[in-house]
Amino acid sequence: MAEKKNRHYLTGKEVKAIAKENNKIIRALEKKKKRKAQESEFLSELKDPANILEVEDLHSYFFTDQGVVKAVNGVSFEIPQGATVGVVGESGCGKSVTSMSIMQLLQGPYGQIFSGSIRFKSYDFKRDEKGEPIPIYETDEAGEPIMEPVLDKKGNPKLDKGGAPMTAPKQKRDQYGTRLFEMEEKVFDIAQMPVKEMHRLRGRQIAMIFQEPMTSLNPVFTIGNQLDEVTFLHFPGSTKEDAKRRSIEMLNLVGIAMPERVYKSYPHELSGGMRQRVMISMALAGDPRLIIADEPTTALDVTIQAQILDLLRDLKTRINGSILLITHDLGIIAEMADYVVVMYAGRIIEKGTASEIFHHPMHPYTIGLQKSKPTMDSDSNTLFNIPGNVPNPIDMPDYCYFRERCTGCVKACFGDYPAMVQVSPTHFVACHLYDKEKTE
Amino acid sequence: MNDEEKFTGSETPEGAAAEQTDVCPEAPETENEGTVSGTEAQKTAESSESGEVDIAAVNAQCLASGDFTGFDDAYEAALEQRARDEKAAADRASPADPDALLEVRHLKMYFPLKKTLGGKVTLWLRAVDDVSFKLKAGETLGIVGESGCGKTTMGRAVLKLYKPTGGQIFFEGKDIAKYKPSEMRPLRTKMQIIFQDPYSSLPPRSTVGGILSEPVKVHKIVEKEKIKDYVLDVMEQCGLRDYYFERYPHEFSGGQRQRICIARALSVNPQLVVCDEPVSALDVSIQAQIINLLRRLQEQRGLTYMFISHDLSVVKHISDRIGVMYLGSMVEFGDKKSIFSHPMHPYTQALFSAVPNPNPDVKMDRIVLKGDIPSPANPPKGCKFHTRCHKCMEICKHIAPKYLEYEPGHFVACHLYPQEEA
Repeated sequence: MAEKKNRHYLTGKEVKAIAKENNKIIRALEKKKKRKAQESEFLSELKDPANILEVEDLHSYFFTDQGVVKAVNGVSFEIPQGATVGVVGESGCGKSVTSMSIMQLLQGPYGQIFSGSIRFKSYDFKRDEKGEPIPIYETDEAGEPIMEPVLDKKGNPKLDKGGAPMTAPKQKRDQYGTRLFEMEEKVFDIAQMPVKEMHRLRGRQIAMIFQEPMTSLNPVFTIGNQLDEVTFLHFPGSTKEDAKRRSIEMLNLVGIAMPERVYKSYPHELSGGMRQRVMISMALAGDPRLIIADEPTTALDVTIQAQILDLLRDLKTRINGSILLITHDLGIIAEMADYVVVMYAGRIIEKGTASEIFHHPMHPYTIGLQKSKPTMDSDSNTLFNIPGNVPNPIDMPDYCYFRERCTGCVKACFGDYPAMVQVSPTHFVACHLYDKEKTE
Repeated sequence: MNDEEKFTGSETPEGAAAEQTDVCPEAPETENEGTVSGTEAQKTAESSESGEVDIAAVNAQCLASGDFTGFDDAYEAALEQRARDEKAAADRASPADPDALLEVRHLKMYFPLKKTLGGKVTLWLRAVDDVSFKLKAGETLGIVGESGCGKTTMGRAVLKLYKPTGGQIFFEGKDIAKYKPSEMRPLRTKMQIIFQDPYSSLPPRSTVGGILSEPVKVHKIVEKEKIKDYVLDVMEQCGLRDYYFERYPHEFSGGQRQRICIARALSVNPQLVVCDEPVSALDVSIQAQIINLLRRLQEQRGLTYMFISHDLSVVKHISDRIGVMYLGSMVEFGDKKSIFSHPMHPYTQALFSAVPNPNPDVKMDRIVLKGDIPSPANPPKGCKFHTRCHKCMEICKHIAPKYLEYEPGHFVACHLYPQEEA
């Protein structure tokens, strides 16, 4: 055993054994994702109706041939309606994997949601028995639906067999000209949802803004083409004109000066800041309730970053949505977030409101992280540094992951992984220093 | 373009008259006037000893009337260019500052974008345009600016990794700008660079020991038998364990790789190290380790750093002097205290206010710059920053501000401050 620990490689036999075991689990999980399921199978209930998303005990693993990487290992947090929740941590701590799990976009077949639940309050079209959405028609004073002539593709009125113009009830439209349907609220458990059902949520109810605007736009299609696609996919019955009108409105919303010109241009013709704006407008086009922003400004300059953050803050109030903001920059979190979740090596080590985390940080890692960042106000000569590195994600120890780098170790740290301790109604920390039962 | 400006700004009675009457016959006349006044100015420029006084005179004329109708941008630019060239020529003869380890004067680094079939360049990308600064031994110069402003190009041009288009680079009192590569070779032990991305700047096929001992062998820093001990000593100084000697770069994390890069730069005992965004690719907690390491090594070895970064808080932490660059030009230069206590250039002010503050209760009065950085191939006329400036005046659109010293060691190029040299 001692010999095995010293080696930093595996023999072919060992790799084969690991792969065989992994394949068994992967196959079962993939089968579950591809199954045909009734809606009742993934309907769920929220613990607190004021929340829009509840993640509970989420485990997302990557089954590699070297062993299982527990990228997200028992994460629980909530996003209240209309709030911004910031997830902060170093690279490799599992913050992006958490967001990808919420979208069910983990790189399969090796990346899988292993267990846990992600409950999302969806606000979707009400569907009839055939699975078609039920449109809302405009009615006159008597309650009778208003009829309008049916037009063909060229804009000429369609004629029926007798030669008379065809009419159909007029559908209600919103301020962007998009057709309206009857809506209903349901709570889905995303962890249990088959992939096909996810299409209803992705891009429509939950939208994502990716890290690199340079690589997340398709270079061979125009911006307009890519923006229209969202409308075509998620708003049934949309015509080309509807889609264009909506796309240009969305480009306007994110502060692009010449939306008609950007609509026609290709991604390479735009600068980084503009591309990120286009990405945001694409996220908004589905009219989402939750926006996941995965390091939205990391690839941008400070001055452009300030523009984008201003825009996100402004939009949140305008669309009455919630934002899950993922970043490694504590400054951005402090400016944007109402609630902060600090992650380390796949686990949440501290969570609370922004002022609790920034004014009374409790976990040694959070304290170290704040002290190690040079700020514009401070004048100290040497920075505080957290010694060492993040532990190897395969074979995580069963004691506190931060023990080797921690400066405030106590006796209890050599025991089990610390449990979440509640310090105030909203402030939780996973550290033995605050576990009264054990320290007393 | 000249005509457009004439007819858009119509505050003078002449301009108004021009608008009322037919535009076409009027245009050549006014243009004629412009050229006449231009030649007059040229004559006076030739008659006097230096062109600077006359630019000031033209400036004063326009400023007095507050009206830029009939203002010849091309002529003004040519005059300005000539004045700059004259100044550069005048400075060329003067000896280097003996206090400074590195002195850069009117450094230019242009890249050709378009060529005719004959090979004549018709469009230049002015990545670095007329930058001057001094750096004393043992000090750290921080260079900040947005991406595309020419910070990296300048860092590389200073080390002669590019051949500069013009200007002088004095290293230890000698002008190295015109040195041939073979003449640069002995100087390479004195000047080194740490690159931004530790993942792509290490050869994947050689061990850490091999990477670190190669420069020692090439430059014959120590005798052959002592190379391993010497390299192990450098590794220890940079916080690398001795058993890493036999390992390959892929076995290390980003922070450790950056330590290897630092050790490689230091293995030849340099005096000047250009750090080109050494911490941007690293995590916050690792960033702090590398910054502390760089500072410790500076104290131990008396190194001089040129620290290029877009992260203002990091630059503030490590630098003694700070230069702010925008579109290839230095817009503000000064020591840390004076720049941070009262930034003078509007761009510096905006840049500082854009840095997120890690305190949720402080709501900052932010200056948000509009739009993006313009293309350096086609920079705006006049002051390059006028398209995004929140304090832009009419004069900024026509005349480039001079780069002047307003306090000892604090240089700014902006029309908000008096343009006459003290």
